Amino acid sequence: MTNTYEAMFLLDNQVVRADWRQAKTLVTDLLAKNGAKVLCARRWDERKLAYTIRGRTRGTYLLAYFEVDGPALNGMRRDFELDERVLRYLMLRVDALPAGELEKAAEEGVEGYVVPTPPTEESVSYERAVFGDLADRPIQEPSRRNHAPVEGPDADGEGDAAETNEAAVAEEI
Amino acid sequence: MAESRKPSPPIASRNCDDPQIDYKEVAYLLKFLTPQAQIVSRKRSGFCTQCQRELKQAIKRARHLGLMPFVQ
Repeated sequence: MTNTYEAMFLLDNQVVRADWRQAKTLVTDLLAKNGAKVLCARRWDERKLAYTIRGRTRGTYLLAYFEVDGPALNGMRRDFELDERVLRYLMLRVDALPAGELEKAAEEGVEGYVVPTPPTEESVSYERAVFGDLADRPIQEPSRRNHAPVEGPDADGEGDAAETNEAAVAEEI
Repeated sequence: MAESRKPSPPIASRNCDDPQIDYKEVAYLLKFLTPQAQIVSRKRSGFCTQCQRELKQAIKRARHLGLMPFVQ
């Protein structure tokens, strides 16, 4: 039985940067190879990924709708798993093609339609990835008062100074 | 005796007849994550059983595609 399916593909930005139309036909060809009738396919968005996938921090999403017999999906899954240019895919059955989808897809076919070039991968240092903006802050000497007293000749003197400071603060209050 | 905490209000109200929650509406789905990116409980989201199940499914699909984080 023929069903309508919605499929979202996450494509490697390197392929998209080379040529968007080629990247699109790469997916639609694989769909057609498995007997699907592609209704429409369009660029959904280019965005930063929530987590790194195969070393990529950004990726381009392709949204496609197609009609195919259910059992053919197994062959498609195998093809997409094997293709390294497709980072992730998600295929869902839908009742019908959503309204306005054909028009959005047709916009890409118009002469002069330019696909924005994906930005280059951000090289994020480990410190920035873990600590964010905190990584830029200068490292401050930890205050002695919050730590255990340091062993040494000066330790007593400093300890006394800290105590007198505390006493002064207490008097002010 | 321990003070009883006032429950926080639900994040969103939703009509169950609305169209199914879509995994592509990432900005909407992000409201239903805790600061650690866990899915909020039904108590916190204010959703009924069916809506919460749709929400869970949509968030998990978005996570698979790299649109939403698993952890933060």
